[in-house]
Amino acid sequence: MATATEVSVPDLGDFADVPVIEIHVAPGDVVNNEDPLVTLESDKATMDIPSPGAGTVRELRIKVGDLVSRGSPILLLDTEGAAVEPPPLTDQQEPPVLDEGDLAAAEEPARRSAAAAETHAAVGGPPVTAVDSGPPADFDGVHASPGVRRLARELDLDLTTLSGTGPKGRITKDDVVGAVRGPADGAAATAPAAAAGAGIPEVPAQDFSKFGPVEVRPLTRIQRLSGPALHRSWLNVPHVTHDDEADITDLDAYRRELDTAAKAEGYRVTLLAFLMKASVSALREFPKFNSSLTPEKDALIYKGYYHLGVAVDTPEGLVVPVIRDVDRKGITELSRELGATSARVREGKLDPADLQGACFTISSLGGIGGTSFTPIVNAPEVAILGVVRSKMAPVWDGSAFVPRLMLPLSLSYDHRVIDGALAARFVRYLCQLLEDIRRLVL
Amino acid sequence: MENQTAEVLVLGAGPGGYTAAFRAADLGKQVVLVDSGEALGGVCLNVGCIPSKALLHAAKVIAETREMSENGVSFGPPAIDLDRLRAWKDGVVGRLTGGLATLARQRKVSVIRGYGRFTSPNQLRVELAEGGEVLVGFGQAIIAAGSEAATLPFIPVSDPRVIDSTGALELGEVPRRLLVVGGGIIGLEMATVYHELGAQITVVELLDQLIPGVDRDVVAPLAKRVSRQYEKVFLRTSVAGVEPRPEGLVVSFDGAKAPATDTFDRILVAVGRRPNGALIDAERAGIDVDPAGFIPVNKQLRTNVPHIFAIGDVVGQPMLAHKAMHEAKVAAEVIAGKNSYFDVRAIPSVAYTDPEVAWAGVTENEAKAAGVAYGKGVFPWAASGRSLTLGRSEGMTKVLFDEATGRIIGCGIVGPSAGDLISEAVLAIEMGADAADIGLTIHPHPTLSETVAMAAEAFEGTITDLYLPRRP
Repeated sequence: MATATEVSVPDLGDFADVPVIEIHVAPGDVVNNEDPLVTLESDKATMDIPSPGAGTVRELRIKVGDLVSRGSPILLLDTEGAAVEPPPLTDQQEPPVLDEGDLAAAEEPARRSAAAAETHAAVGGPPVTAVDSGPPADFDGVHASPGVRRLARELDLDLTTLSGTGPKGRITKDDVVGAVRGPADGAAATAPAAAAGAGIPEVPAQDFSKFGPVEVRPLTRIQRLSGPALHRSWLNVPHVTHDDEADITDLDAYRRELDTAAKAEGYRVTLLAFLMKASVSALREFPKFNSSLTPEKDALIYKGYYHLGVAVDTPEGLVVPVIRDVDRKGITELSRELGATSARVREGKLDPADLQGACFTISSLGGIGGTSFTPIVNAPEVAILGVVRSKMAPVWDGSAFVPRLMLPLSLSYDHRVIDGALAARFVRYLCQLLEDIRRLVL
Repeated sequence: MENQTAEVLVLGAGPGGYTAAFRAADLGKQVVLVDSGEALGGVCLNVGCIPSKALLHAAKVIAETREMSENGVSFGPPAIDLDRLRAWKDGVVGRLTGGLATLARQRKVSVIRGYGRFTSPNQLRVELAEGGEVLVGFGQAIIAAGSEAATLPFIPVSDPRVIDSTGALELGEVPRRLLVVGGGIIGLEMATVYHELGAQITVVELLDQLIPGVDRDVVAPLAKRVSRQYEKVFLRTSVAGVEPRPEGLVVSFDGAKAPATDTFDRILVAVGRRPNGALIDAERAGIDVDPAGFIPVNKQLRTNVPHIFAIGDVVGQPMLAHKAMHEAKVAAEVIAGKNSYFDVRAIPSVAYTDPEVAWAGVTENEAKAAGVAYGKGVFPWAASGRSLTLGRSEGMTKVLFDEATGRIIGCGIVGPSAGDLISEAVLAIEMGADAADIGLTIHPHPTLSETVAMAAEAFEGTITDLYLPRRP
């Protein structure tokens, strides 16, 4: 005799209120065990809910767009025989604890749900033939507290294969969690994390190997060092980025002249040297940009020197060497020094001192492309200038469109120190310097 | 009553059964709990642990008031009103079992009073206490059928003067001369009660020490005290026969120091407990039951029939309520889909005698037999200020450690409140504590709990409350 069973959403792990994005069956459809019934989409993944058994769909209880959680009814299924409990999702966060034998057990009437209508039919039900999953490993001799042992059981982790990091080799809760997350996350956990203790939720671990082949490669030394610093700045500094454009048509013509001459002497004159000189002039005009907050954040420390950081892309990661006393150096000298510094960066011959003491940083992606970006302030500096590739654009000169070489500038700044109007003035001033070569040279 | 179905059927409502039922219900299962007793709680609450502790408290009060007379505080001889004592004991039991009924109701666990037997792997037939029968179909089951007092073929159980622990707890009358057959925990606890109520006690034990299984030095203070208090304690002695006569029960002994025969007013048979695995038609469900009546299970408490679990006395020794309760949670959690596992490191045992005897983990006897390299720290309570102020000095705390790592592997304690002191050692074993961890933990002074730390210090060689010759 056919009986109607309500099929509901099984345990989804941590998901709740997940939208239904697709329904694969309609009333009257015949489905087999494990056939997909509906697809749910969380912010992390899409999941098919499989049919817990064979039968005919009698009635749908959901429509596309509904938000569902564990236990939400999906449909009524006419089944032959007894009601069944949904098997576990195939796309679950937890490691599977059921094996084939247990699935067999789940499908047989032994696990009928409370909602099953044919309660009296259960009296004297058929014998069951489920297979014992076999006991998991004993933890004899393992140094782990009862709570840690239980966690390991829940996570299906054999503690005898784990070495503990606690006192006297005790396996701690962290060891168990680390072992389950895998080596990549384990390594990350040991790196100095800027977020540690900040109360910021960790990004949940994912087993990517479920979705395709993966390979774990450790971060480079530079990345391991720069990552936490960038994270620290990002979390501490309220960032605003201000964009503007400078007409560098004349500047570029001048630069090309100098560059041609320089090539003969074995160095190059790039836009960067001009940007540095212009920045120093702007810093002089707007001293707040050459300041830092005191640790108590109740005062500004104004600097009487002009050292500029220059972001350099290397195969190992981002490096920011510092060019000292830019205010006392001319374009030629700066160009030579930039060339020498770049060579040392590429050879990995920088001293720690070469990376310290910057007042302001310039990050140039002009050699690559782009239209704008948001550089991260290199705290405790209060601003950073980003530049991307200049391009020829039609500019209205009052009577006609003329082709001009325009350089996009993106200034990110610490809003605790600098407000928007000041930043706009700073960038405009910078643009005017770059547009009027005479002012720059003065 | 109509036939029923259960997602989870629990057979037996002792400490294991009710714990399993409640845990399964809390994990969202629809639970039916079947028990043949008048009240929930099984042997432990109704005719075991709890009523015996009530009577042992009475015994302790009698003993302490008597002993205090030597120290300047004298009372008259106790006037014992057995009816009131019994009513108090029954009141304690009633309060606890009533509490269980409330807990079951709050969890919507449906309780069926009656004797359950399997008819198939998915059905139980219950002979209702109120008459008639009911069938319960179930998805999964937990057998918590417990145990009953073992009997001896040559002792006539039909004679009302022959009682088991249940009969002893009924407190019908205090015999003039009581023979306790069996020198284990149950026999000695009942002997403690009846001794203080005025009976002359003889204990007969087949093996060569009281409470076999515990280290001899741990039992020694108890053995010494009872041999002084009781009429006779016969070791390596068995009862060969009992002849009921109007004037008394004539018992013939087989043992070197025992007389050929002696006559007693009552006999308490306390020779262990027999599991009830063979009394529930388990074979109709396809469940294996061994010849002794135990149901074999794996460490998730699963029987050979995967959807049927068994816990407590019916799955094996030690037959202790606290073991059953922990097994119960594992079984209920496994049924609810959790990957739980019974892998405790130690199960404590306690004899609530006077003095109490408690032990956990590896005993010295076991360590020797297994060839374990162990060291021990012993603290005699004669050096404990707290013990002396209780008027007692015979206690001892002995802690065993892994010789190589210093990690605790076992503990034996004898003395007043030993049963409460053993928990620290069990926690230490579970946490893998070593002697320094225990010794460096500040224990309040003066307490009996200090003796655990002192024993650890004795092992470490850091103790100052004793003078021990320097360790090589």
